[in-house]
Amino acid sequence: MNILSIIFIVAGLFFLIVAAIGVIRLPDVFSRSHAVSLTDSLGAFLMLVGIALHEGLGKNMLKILVVLALLYILNPGITHATIRAALRSGLKPWKKETP
Amino acid sequence: MATRSRPISSNFLLLKITALFVFWVLLSSSFTWIHLGLGLLCSFAVAWINSGHSPFVPKFRLWLKFLLYLPWLFYKIVESSLHLSKLILHPALPIAPQLITVEPKLSNRAAVVLLGNSITLTPGTITAEVGRNKLVVHTMDSVLREDVANKHIESKIADIFKDQEPDL
Amino acid sequence: MKTFLICVLVLLAILIGVYLYRVLRGPTVFDRVLGLNGISTKAIILLIVIGIYFERVDMFIDISTGYALLNLVGVLAVTKYLEEKGRS
Repeated sequence: MNILSIIFIVAGLFFLIVAAIGVIRLPDVFSRSHAVSLTDSLGAFLMLVGIALHEGLGKNMLKILVVLALLYILNPGITHATIRAALRSGLKPWKKETP
Repeated sequence: MATRSRPISSNFLLLKITALFVFWVLLSSSFTWIHLGLGLLCSFAVAWINSGHSPFVPKFRLWLKFLLYLPWLFYKIVESSLHLSKLILHPALPIAPQLITVEPKLSNRAAVVLLGNSITLTPGTITAEVGRNKLVVHTMDSVLREDVANKHIESKIADIFKDQEPDL
Repeated sequence: MKTFLICVLVLLAILIGVYLYRVLRGPTVFDRVLGLNGISTKAIILLIVIGIYFERVDMFIDISTGYALLNLVGVLAVTKYLEEKGRS
């Protein structure tokens, strides 16, 4: 059980690190938000499932899964609100300049 | 509360109270009498106040189909997550972001909401604007764009909402 | 297990620092909002890991639930304001 949860947590950390690299590397708001949504959807899932496995069956596990469901329900709304505000206030998406 | 659009059906009220109470127990997870009683009181009050304007019609068949849709969506999320991480870690950063317009042929408000949420939840594609039956989607590169454009998600959702009456 | 959890905590703190760079540096104001959203997701995970470390998960879970809900309200308010401001 312990080994499995460590594997899950390490995989989640990998996705969190990739998302952080993306937030630094990518060129504009729109593409950065993709990196943040990568964290939210897969990184947080793997981390929290690993922690829930470590915690074992019980009410704490149930509550961790409630937090996970909450993240999955709320985060698309947050990302969509940010991107819509950016688009409506007149920001143009970055394009690769063709030489 | 002054204007009730429809009379309160005791059946629906009961279902709503049950759902709220289950949520209360899930969040508090304490089983002393004072907490359970307080939860029952609160869920009754919330259900009573809100009974006027939100029709809580249970559609168990719809929810079952929706639950069966979730694993497929999760498979999609994993697939495009791996693709996006490959793009980010690639030294040359081969991204080609673009805004595209999708016009789904869905006849239900909830279906359009579900489609937008699914597209946003999948990494690499984000719904930027939602109209009546028109979505503006920001996509990261051509593979992920193909995912949205080939209408796989849309046909799945249309299948879920097949026997609902259209309201759009 | 304790040392592993400490390593995870330190790594999460470093990741929060990376997002903080984006918040402080960000060219547009939306980058800052996005960075704050990322920080709050990390903070939720961080709180739960702290709870595991101190073996008080039941308390820290409630804090992280409240944090997630407050984050939603805050981000929605800020983006609504910026949207109206950008349009006028």
